[in-house]
Amino acid sequence: MSATLELPTRRREAWRWSDMDALQAAANMPAGDPGADPAALFLDIEGPRLLFVDGMFEPAHSRPDGVAVSPFEAASDHPLGALASGEGWTLTLENGAARGDIQIVHVSTGGENHVPARILLGEDATASVIETYAGRGWANRLCQIGLKRGARLMRSVRLLQREGFVSIRDEADVAEAASLVSVFLGVGGMGSRIDGAITLAGPGAYGEMGGALLTRGEQRQEAAVVMRHAQPEGTSRQIWRAVAADRSTASLAARAEVVRHAQKTDGEQSLRGLLLDRTATVNLKPELEIFADDVQCAHGATVGELDKQALFYLESRGLPETRARGLLTRAFVADAIDRIGEETVREAFLEDAAAWLGEAL
Amino acid sequence: MLKIENLHAEIDGKEILKGLSLEVATGEIHAIMGPNGAGKSTLGYVLGGRDGYEVTQGSVTFDGQDLLELAPYERAAAGLFLGFQYPVEIPGISNVQFLREALNSQRRARDEAPLSGAEFLKLARAQADALGMHQDMLKRPVNVGFSGGEKKRNEMVQMGILAPKFAILDETDSGLDIDALKAVGDGINRIMRAPDKSVLLITHYQRLLDYVQPDKVHVLADGRIVRSGGPELAQELEREGYGELAA
Ligand SMILES: Nc1ncnc2c1ncn2[C@@H]1O[C@H](COP(=O)(O)OP(=O)(O)OP(=O)(O)O)[C@@H](O)[C@H]1O
Ligand SMILES: [Mg+2]
Repeated sequence: MSATLELPTRRREAWRWSDMDALQAAANMPAGDPGADPAALFLDIEGPRLLFVDGMFEPAHSRPDGVAVSPFEAASDHPLGALASGEGWTLTLENGAARGDIQIVHVSTGGENHVPARILLGEDATASVIETYAGRGWANRLCQIGLKRGARLMRSVRLLQREGFVSIRDEADVAEAASLVSVFLGVGGMGSRIDGAITLAGPGAYGEMGGALLTRGEQRQEAAVVMRHAQPEGTSRQIWRAVAADRSTASLAARAEVVRHAQKTDGEQSLRGLLLDRTATVNLKPELEIFADDVQCAHGATVGELDKQALFYLESRGLPETRARGLLTRAFVADAIDRIGEETVREAFLEDAAAWLGEAL
Repeated sequence: MLKIENLHAEIDGKEILKGLSLEVATGEIHAIMGPNGAGKSTLGYVLGGRDGYEVTQGSVTFDGQDLLELAPYERAAAGLFLGFQYPVEIPGISNVQFLREALNSQRRARDEAPLSGAEFLKLARAQADALGMHQDMLKRPVNVGFSGGEKKRNEMVQMGILAPKFAILDETDSGLDIDALKAVGDGINRIMRAPDKSVLLITHYQRLLDYVQPDKVHVLADGRIVRSGGPELAQELEREGYGELAA
């Protein structure tokens, strides 16, 4: 790792659950077998495909179809996001344009790699982007999103890395009546830090960032999102689920800020944790900072175990215990994953979650 | 079919069943009545194998096997069905998904071929129709937002789909309006009234027994069967209450 790199320390509130040791260790991992076949990581759907191996674009296995690949400087004041400079990808759509199912696969073999990305949608443009992370080492990403008036972006991201660390920083500006929905699924064996700063910058904007983190062994995953309502009549949803087994830790911090004139804001934060073992940890931190007075912000944060009544009900109908636990856990996770609009993508994500459950339960 | 001998069971160290004996022959329907807190639901849970219900003494034989040795799902596969007094709401899992998994798990455990999605749907629709349950409710999450009566109907639909040999129905009649009571009563007769099936009906009211004629009626009080008789016993209890039986 770059000797000059200064990682955030846990003394900073926003990083107190972070596992920067795991990130360091991942960065120092010598190259090895990623244990993943890139071709198998693309979902079987039409649309542009981009493969990055260790942060390098692989044209031979890609068909970028209008998605531009070029080096650029990232301008971010986020400590990890700021590192993501160099070769990256940019999706630019003109007003009214539509581009469905852009798939980006990131495979790492070890060490560290940094890739910046930009998604810039013109007025009423629509796009859907699906990202998959696999392999090992430290993959660090910055994704800057600009949605013009009425634009719509569906972003689905799954973290399948076997080991190592994935850090993702999203920064988004959502203009009037535009809509951003981002769903993350962390089911690999890696550590993770998913960071989001979303600004609802125009009246009636819609912002959603959520997902599910599933941890086991000694693994730590976390998400930290700030949703900023800067204009009136915005709607935001932060729906996160954490499932932790063994001695692992899953942490969710979701913050909603509503500025003084952002009246008629409708915000929802739903953070729920499920402990599969008593030795596991789920940290939840819902935060509201509201300066407007005409605001509706629902928030809930609960951690629990599987409902014993429900378990017995399922078992009494003939389901073996592990199956019953699996079904209930899957339903718990589905709350967050069901936000993915496209059925094929949603089903693929649910299958990844089911595969995790098959191994963890 | 079911033979319970001197059954003692406790929850959290507190003895609830205190030497309960009961035998239900194949082809018979028995009713259990008894005051609140007597241990009727506890009996159902113990027979179903619920965690935390510890059997300290006695035995239960089901179709010649030691029932208490089996895990809950094995009991279900062996043909036992427990109709819940308070059916559980399960968000995020649809009725069809749940029941198809349940039925196919049972079939696999019995070395029978699982049903395809289409075969299962046909079966589920037929059972929902027979019980007067709207088709849409099959797609809804298990019992979520169902009224008390709808939950009980759903229990009967499940029983129709799973086609058990032996059903313990815990107050399936409570909370039902007159039409629903008739639908549920007819359902029990249609699904379970057969020479190779038996039922244990837990109820507080004679009115269900007007639809489903029991062969025998038992009074459970303070963790034991304290009296047994024919259908006339239910009428007597309805007239006179449990009185000194429960004392
Ligand atoms: N989890 C528990 N812990 C301790 N005691 C319990 C528990 N569950 C039930 N009991 C007690 O066991 C006794 C029997 O309860 P049970 O539910 O079996 O009664 P019941 O006969 O079904 O009553 P009802 O007619 O009201 O349904 C009651 O005294 C009840 O308080
Ligand atoms: Mg009861």
